[in-house]
Amino acid sequence: MNVALTPAQLTLRDEIRNYMDAIMTPELLAELLGEQREGGGPQHRKALQQMGSDGWIVRSWPREYGGQDAGPIEQYIFCDEVIRAGFPYPFLTTDGVGPVLAAVASDEIRESVVSPILRGECVIAIGYSEPAAGTDLASLTTRAERKGDKWVINGQKIWTSYGNVADYVWLAARTDPHAAKKHQGISMFLVPTSAPGFSFTPISTLGVRTNATYYENIELEDKWQVGPLNQGWRMITEQLNRERLSLVNHGPCELLYEQVASWATRMDAGNGAGKVIDLPWVRTNLAKVKSGLEVLRLVCFKQAWSMSHSNLGMDEASAAKIYGSEFFVEAWRLLLEIVGQAGVLCSDSEGAVLQGSLEHRYRSGSVLTFGGGTNEVQRDIVAAAGLLMPRYR
Amino acid sequence: MDFALTEEQQDVQQLAAKILAQEVTVDRLKTVEAGKERFDEALWQQLAEAGLLGVAISETYGGMGYDFETLCLLIEEVGKTVAAVPVVPVLASAALTVQQFGDAQHCDRWLPGVARGERLLTAALTEPSADDPSHPTTRLEQKGDAWTLHGEKNMVVCADRADAVLLTARLDDELVLLAINPAAANVKLISQHVTTGEPQFSMALDGVSVSNDDFIARGADASCAVRSMLQLTLTANSVMTLGVTDTMLSMTAAYTSQREQFGRPIATFQAVSHRAADAYIDVQNLRLATQQAASLLSAQLDATEAVTIAKIWACDVAHRVSQSAQHLHGGIGVDRDYPLFRFCLWAKQLELTLGGGNSYLTALGDAIAEDFKQREGVG
Repeated sequence: MNVALTPAQLTLRDEIRNYMDAIMTPELLAELLGEQREGGGPQHRKALQQMGSDGWIVRSWPREYGGQDAGPIEQYIFCDEVIRAGFPYPFLTTDGVGPVLAAVASDEIRESVVSPILRGECVIAIGYSEPAAGTDLASLTTRAERKGDKWVINGQKIWTSYGNVADYVWLAARTDPHAAKKHQGISMFLVPTSAPGFSFTPISTLGVRTNATYYENIELEDKWQVGPLNQGWRMITEQLNRERLSLVNHGPCELLYEQVASWATRMDAGNGAGKVIDLPWVRTNLAKVKSGLEVLRLVCFKQAWSMSHSNLGMDEASAAKIYGSEFFVEAWRLLLEIVGQAGVLCSDSEGAVLQGSLEHRYRSGSVLTFGGGTNEVQRDIVAAAGLLMPRYR
Repeated sequence: MDFALTEEQQDVQQLAAKILAQEVTVDRLKTVEAGKERFDEALWQQLAEAGLLGVAISETYGGMGYDFETLCLLIEEVGKTVAAVPVVPVLASAALTVQQFGDAQHCDRWLPGVARGERLLTAALTEPSADDPSHPTTRLEQKGDAWTLHGEKNMVVCADRADAVLLTARLDDELVLLAINPAAANVKLISQHVTTGEPQFSMALDGVSVSNDDFIARGADASCAVRSMLQLTLTANSVMTLGVTDTMLSMTAAYTSQREQFGRPIATFQAVSHRAADAYIDVQNLRLATQQAASLLSAQLDATEAVTIAKIWACDVAHRVSQSAQHLHGGIGVDRDYPLFRFCLWAKQLELTLGGGNSYLTALGDAIAEDFKQREGVG
């Protein structure tokens, strides 16, 4: 057993870290502190195209698409460094939907959508959740009906992040309302956001901006229906599995931990008590974050390693998601305590500590415990798949 | 990065699991515990015959010559069965320290015998008034060419059966690591009654004469040896905790799956299954933390932080999983006719061995502060 990264993996990490330093220009950083924090602004688009033309987006893809077949561990290192750098990278497009399209879509779609994705010119939003279909996603009611040689889409989606800037929505719609079970009869569509009948309204959340999206008599040619008809559920679950590497990665928390520890080392504690880091409870808080973070790092790399051996169990993936999401909530609290009252100063405020990043983190952190599959369902999976405990039906 | 076990490691793991599962029945544990001491002599001999006591002892001294990580696989299996065999103090704390820091004579004298199950080494790591063996109050006094030892050690596992006990003392300002025969004159052993029933002894040292041969290491070498012995012991105990909690978890899953109330298995209540799921996450996380510590120690890399983090997790996980297991079992979990209670006792003993989790959080916090002061150039 060897839990250390190989020299090649360490080199890759440093290479990406340096590369991302260059990508994060002052103009982009300024844009990301403003209204377009989640990406989609002109600077962000430009940077994404740069990453595309430098070959980073295609890297994890199979060789037949010009990729290097980078393994899950290398791909995790990439995800982690990109997120750590603070770049809103559209993983759902590049690593979630993109490979699915490449595998099952028509040549025409591959040419018009997949190639632009790899060039960093195309962003796709996810249209799964609905106001009445969240954790119980299979109960979705957005419908696609056949009229002549076209599909007509009607319905509403919610939490469509990027829906305001995306080129397409990857939409789950009911195509067979009479299917025996509700997770049958669902198909996948690629909806151009330029199509007449598409609209969105912003949803301002505690942490980030997202959208409600509306589909009103949108007429689509058959080519926009992707994959086997009425078998979209499997594509959804496969795509959710692909999210694994970017959901609870350790890098951003490690960065903030280091920034807070450095801050505490420089700041006077007052009353002749030395530096903030000399206070015993501050050291304990840092130690709690460190010991939790170190295990999160191991959990994430173990998960990537299991994926590289095609051996990732559902229990392992769910356990990682529960642990990571709940650890983050605790970590932000412990780090905020160290910064103290000034921890609630926002990024645009005079006197903000570490550009208010902790203030933003605690607001956006709670999303992960229910997003990406709520933790109650994940615990059901752990008990059933990991401990073979029976479920109540 | 590779989380897989080698083929040899899998063999060791399977061999240990097979022998322990076969031998360590509830009846066997009851018989051993009804005897004079909680030590399963027959099982110890069987492990010796299978070569497992020598798993990390060099081939030169009759062992298999594998690394510490491989020894940890045996320790985990012992934890899973709470077998009455002192694998941590004898094989990890004492034998590996002698192998690494003793001279050829020390190794020759003891290691082949340990591998064969004919000799026993152990380690005295605590004193009534000193938790840290690097700062003992026990002192060595020099008179001409002879030394005498004065002080007290306690909670020494199997001191009564040991051929030698590794212990630290101060010679003026110098730290020394000694191997003392507990049957020597002026050593007084008093049996201590500990929560698991493990045979432990206080050891009064009232002018014990010490010869040149008894020195394992002195000065800086001794500091280095003691640090290594502590790291091996802490990690081995964390691995043992992993085995203990792993079994408590599987017992809990099995019991709640068959126990019915309100007309259905209680495992189907989410309040039950979710608490079990949390215990599962805890055990998996502890597994990763201990694997990291063990693999760094085996590779002779700096493992200080990894060992501390594994110990912090081991303490928390021992406590949480033990309480969840007892709670989810209900009354049967505390009934001494049902096997769970032994695991709960071991969980608590292991949690507190060499100190509880918060003391290690403090140590980790101090190390972090020192690290960041260096990075920031703050004095």
